Amino acid sequence: MAASEHIVGRGIGNKLILLSVVLVAVIWMLPIAWTLLLSLKPNSELMISTASAFHPPYTLKNYTDIFQSSGVFRWLWNSAVVSVGVTAGILILSSLAGYGFARAEFKGRDIIFVLVLLGLAVPEQAVIIARHQMFSDLKMHNTYPAIILPGLSSAFGVFLMTQYFKAIPKDIDEAAMLDNASRFKIFWKVLLPLTVPAQATLGIFSFLGAWNDYLWPLISATKPEMFTITVGMASTQTNFAQSEGLGFLMAQAIFAGLPVFIVYLFFQKYIVRAVAGAAIN
Amino acid sequence: MSSIELDSVSKRFGSVEVISELSLTIHSGEFIAFLGPSGCGKSTLLRMIAGLETVNGGEIRIGGERVDHLPPGARGVAMVFQHYALYPHMTVFDNLAFGLKNIGTPHDEIARRIEEAARILEIGHLLQRKPGQLSGGQRQRVAIGRALVKDPKAYLFDEPLSNLDAALRVRTRVELARLHQQTRATTIFVTHDQVEAMTLASRIVVMNARKVEQVGTPMEIYGRPATEFVARFVGSPAMNFLPVTVRDRTGLATAVLGDGSIIDTDVPVDLLSAGGELRVGVRAEAIHVRPDGAIPGKVEVVERLGDRTHLHIRLKDGSTLVAEDTGVSQVQPGDTVPLAVEGATAHLFDDAGLAYHARQ
Repeated sequence: MAASEHIVGRGIGNKLILLSVVLVAVIWMLPIAWTLLLSLKPNSELMISTASAFHPPYTLKNYTDIFQSSGVFRWLWNSAVVSVGVTAGILILSSLAGYGFARAEFKGRDIIFVLVLLGLAVPEQAVIIARHQMFSDLKMHNTYPAIILPGLSSAFGVFLMTQYFKAIPKDIDEAAMLDNASRFKIFWKVLLPLTVPAQATLGIFSFLGAWNDYLWPLISATKPEMFTITVGMASTQTNFAQSEGLGFLMAQAIFAGLPVFIVYLFFQKYIVRAVAGAAIN
Repeated sequence: MSSIELDSVSKRFGSVEVISELSLTIHSGEFIAFLGPSGCGKSTLLRMIAGLETVNGGEIRIGGERVDHLPPGARGVAMVFQHYALYPHMTVFDNLAFGLKNIGTPHDEIARRIEEAARILEIGHLLQRKPGQLSGGQRQRVAIGRALVKDPKAYLFDEPLSNLDAALRVRTRVELARLHQQTRATTIFVTHDQVEAMTLASRIVVMNARKVEQVGTPMEIYGRPATEFVARFVGSPAMNFLPVTVRDRTGLATAVLGDGSIIDTDVPVDLLSAGGELRVGVRAEAIHVRPDGAIPGKVEVVERLGDRTHLHIRLKDGSTLVAEDTGVSQVQPGDTVPLAVEGATAHLFDDAGLAYHARQ
């Protein structure tokens, strides 16, 4: 009797937790739903009242207007190149550095690692003028390398990969050494495949960070053909966008967020793990 | 198969010397156990032979060839790790094939060797699984298989049974013994478990505090321990030690206990160093409860093991010992019992811990 009451009690508890979770999820989704609704309304109606979003007529005109802007596909392409470039670069460099810090023994290793970690404490704004000047001197602004290169110095990535490599038992390296594997083969064939969960986590965060980055592309890319989607979208907004072109503004937000949404859709498992801090396990 | 020679090898970690000028010859085809407590240096020594630790002094030769400057893969040895160290992302087949591929073994030869190892170890049905899908015992077999396929000059086992449950450990122990009888491979087996060392090895190297205490066959180690440490470490229950004075009995030592009782040993008196304290060492199975026993003692604890009974006894002078009785012993805690000691199997130990035995 007591046991069944306990089980019933637990059932109700679970339902309450589920209800709370659903409620929080709905609250989080409301702004997105609101944005979507507004994006489907003619701007003229929204100028009168945004409450019109709750009833027809709906239109895709705001979306078709986006495509009228000649640069949008170019900006999408630029964002893709930059995001993939940054992500690939971070994964390669962080893996190599992480392996080095975790496995190689060399003088000053710990000091260098601390210096790398100190990079986490330096805000981008603190170095952006110097960085702008440097790329200006190198005449690299308005190029992909200029937008990509600063993003490759990922202290977080090096830290994450170092910790992950450290968590792999050294027995595995030693077994591979006894199996006649070279140092590179041990890294490439034995250890790197074991870090896939960490690579996925780092890759997702890097991709999303690069896709959503606004400040540096805004500064470095001054020519419209080198805009990323975030910079490009912002450049099309009129002075009175909030009042006169709200629907268009919202359609831009949805459109710019679509690739990110797709990434979430495919890598949801890894994102949840990463956010839960369980990636190392 | 090859012999392994260690010639005055030393190892330092910083300023701490963990192996000091150790010399040892392991004969071709021999199964030798490095036995000792944690931190005694036995695993370090094994890793030095494998090439996973550098050597700070001396030479290591395998099959007559000096190898201490060679990388692990070039030494021709195979190692089975305590935690198996299988490659988690590879199938069992790929785990076994990895080392062979790295030395350019032809595909059909790799397949043949893996098939043979899988047959011997009965892991043929596991070849397409990954280590995560295997039980502890199966992983252990795969780890042994990975060593087996390489057909190495010597096998190195680093406490390979310590992660298995008791029943599986016993079974795997027997299988290892059988495997060695089949392959006659030179094998070094590191363990802190004296039962594993006694049952598997043809010779045991007992190590303590980074030095070798004794090298001998299991029965030499058990029956004629070189030092008090060996006598205490090998055998369960541990050997009993009682402080004694010694009287000369026509050339042989008679040990006089604190309560005046005597044990007539076969240890020649002339072997004993003059002066210093002595202890007599007697194993539990050499101390019996008998009506004609001359040493009285009070039973404090009775441990019934089925086939025999261990009696924890306090003597009149306050010293304690463990005696062995039959499985159906009627002795109860609190009883005072007469004890008879087989003096012929007793040993004497000086205050430096060195042992003195009866002449053979």
